[in-house]
Amino acid sequence: MQQQPSVNPTTEDLSLDYRALVAASRRLDPAKAARKVKVALLSDAATQRFVPVLRTLFHRQGVEAEIYEAPFDGLELEIYNPASGLYQFKPDFVVVLNSVQALRANFLKRPGDSISFVEETVARMAKIWDVIQSHLTATLIQSNFVLPYERFFGNFDHKTPESFYAAVGAINSKMTEASRSRGSVLVNDVESVASWLGRRFWFEERFWDSAKYFCSLECLPYVGKNIVDVAMASLGRVIKCIVLDLDNTLWGGVIGDDGIDGIQLSAHGDGEAFYRFQLYLRELRRRGVLLAVCSKNEKANALLPFEKHPEMVLKLEDIAMFVANWNDKADNIRQIREVLNIGIDSMVFLDDNPFERNLVRELVPGITVPELPEDPADYVRAVSELNLFETTTFSAEDSKRTEMYRAEAQRREEQASFGSVDDFLQSLEMRMTVARFDSFHLPRISQLMQRSNQFNVTTRRLSEVECKSLMEDQRWLPLYAKLADRLSDHGLISVVTLEAREDSLAIRDWLMSCRVLVRGVEQFMMNRTVEHAKKLGLPRVTAEFIPTAKNGMVKDFFQQFGFAKVEEDGSGHSRWVLETDAYQPARTFIQPVVEATEVEGLTVS
Amino acid sequence: MQSAGNAEVMATLTGIFRDIFDNPSLVLQDSMTAADVENWDSLNHIDLIVAIEKKFKVKFTTREVTSLKTVGDLAELIEKKLATKP
Repeated sequence: MQQQPSVNPTTEDLSLDYRALVAASRRLDPAKAARKVKVALLSDAATQRFVPVLRTLFHRQGVEAEIYEAPFDGLELEIYNPASGLYQFKPDFVVVLNSVQALRANFLKRPGDSISFVEETVARMAKIWDVIQSHLTATLIQSNFVLPYERFFGNFDHKTPESFYAAVGAINSKMTEASRSRGSVLVNDVESVASWLGRRFWFEERFWDSAKYFCSLECLPYVGKNIVDVAMASLGRVIKCIVLDLDNTLWGGVIGDDGIDGIQLSAHGDGEAFYRFQLYLRELRRRGVLLAVCSKNEKANALLPFEKHPEMVLKLEDIAMFVANWNDKADNIRQIREVLNIGIDSMVFLDDNPFERNLVRELVPGITVPELPEDPADYVRAVSELNLFETTTFSAEDSKRTEMYRAEAQRREEQASFGSVDDFLQSLEMRMTVARFDSFHLPRISQLMQRSNQFNVTTRRLSEVECKSLMEDQRWLPLYAKLADRLSDHGLISVVTLEAREDSLAIRDWLMSCRVLVRGVEQFMMNRTVEHAKKLGLPRVTAEFIPTAKNGMVKDFFQQFGFAKVEEDGSGHSRWVLETDAYQPARTFIQPVVEATEVEGLTVS
Repeated sequence: MQSAGNAEVMATLTGIFRDIFDNPSLVLQDSMTAADVENWDSLNHIDLIVAIEKKFKVKFTTREVTSLKTVGDLAELIEKKLATKP
């Protein structure tokens, strides 16, 4: 089983020093890479120096990157020629880097006014995306433009669209807008990187002149990290949970010693830094990141500020799991991971105490433990700088994630009080909607496909674009399922895609959120699947299991439904078949909500 | 004529060259040119200049950079810059 590498900013490992990255690129150990990706670079600036930097940064994430560089400034040639190197390479990611230096040259030679220049530039960029994506199912990572340093009108640059500065701002804004309707076009915000590092250190004009360098070599690794962050999020690597210490992390002082009146926490005054930190964490919680507490304290003391302190921003409803005892933090974190049922590599641990941080780093490999600065006023900045919360999706359901985990905890409590599992399941009054993919649900569907690692039989990571094409293909029956019960609405929790073949219905994707295991969802979906096969007159259903480091739990998933394993190779890759005549519908306590008419219009080839 | 200071510059330069050109046994001679060092192309040249500027805390002009012919020229230029630093 491959362990994900630890991401720890103190170690040399996370250095963004250009020379260190180049040196490391010469000695990358292929054994440490659990997966491979192909990345194509297209730019009107020189791309050579990105290659060793990207290879090393990807490698730190356990990814071996094979990189293709399109010929310098040959963007249009590469994309309009169907036989170009770009298309032959079949990349997973196409990184398009547009330099403000090249843009400037075009702007200063513009034939018309600034507004038409902006519109033409954005139209050309969107056209490039569409052409690329008509040939490839790659994810596109498009850079925006770094704002220029010339101030032709001074501060008045902002007040007239004719200024170069305003034009670049408008291009960035319209380009981002255009990307919103294209799920597989992601933004590489180099302007924010340049702004953070300082544009005066970013621009190295002598090297633009002589070698067409995009930015100074000092800044290049930060652009590389931005690209890798976006790519990794696209590959499903997201942070799902922050585990928090309490004393001197969420408030100043030690609650057990100082008492509720002695700790420092205030909107204005002593402990304002902690107040700000809590506001930051709460915003992350609202955006879908889970917060867990792991504190060395008497539980009653640890709970006190949450329950009684008037300036406490985080409330108990914001905490998905609350652990306060005198046990080892590493053990506690492992327990949190197990209860929340997420991967260790999707967790972050924040603690002001360097001893605890080192302990957890040592004993919990794969978790991210950032260094925190001594001054709590810098906590928010230190965590933000690491850009841990990259994502490629956001759906309304995300803000309800904590609620769902807490409802789950309540369910477990109730379950303990029931005599039998059946009685308990009956009492939940579960209702499920199963329907064909639709535009409204595409973001959540794609998100589930990116995030599901355990209950996932083939682990295909389909982008929104790919999901959309299934939605429109009449030979496919791509289904999503939403579950609700008496205690809460779980939202969209399962995706099953079925492909009609000549004499069988093939299960191509079967994934489910681990939050709803052993409820009857799988049984409900399998009943539906076999029903569909029968309606289409197909005598059998076929399925496939492709093993990964994380999906061992579904290795024999199909067996319980009467599928026979017809093939298995040395790696554990197996194929299964079920004769529909022989199927016994499985019992569930789930009521269907909508009698979906998914079968209408489905043609069999 | 080599001064004592020049030896230190050469030692530091050697370290930089060895890293840039990935050659741990490279030995620098005053008379060496780009033709004498494997992989000393225009891209590595920029890496070299940037590394030297960072290490010695000096800055070269574009003209100075393009006027360099030998390693000896480079060492002398660095020496001159170090001597005139405030």
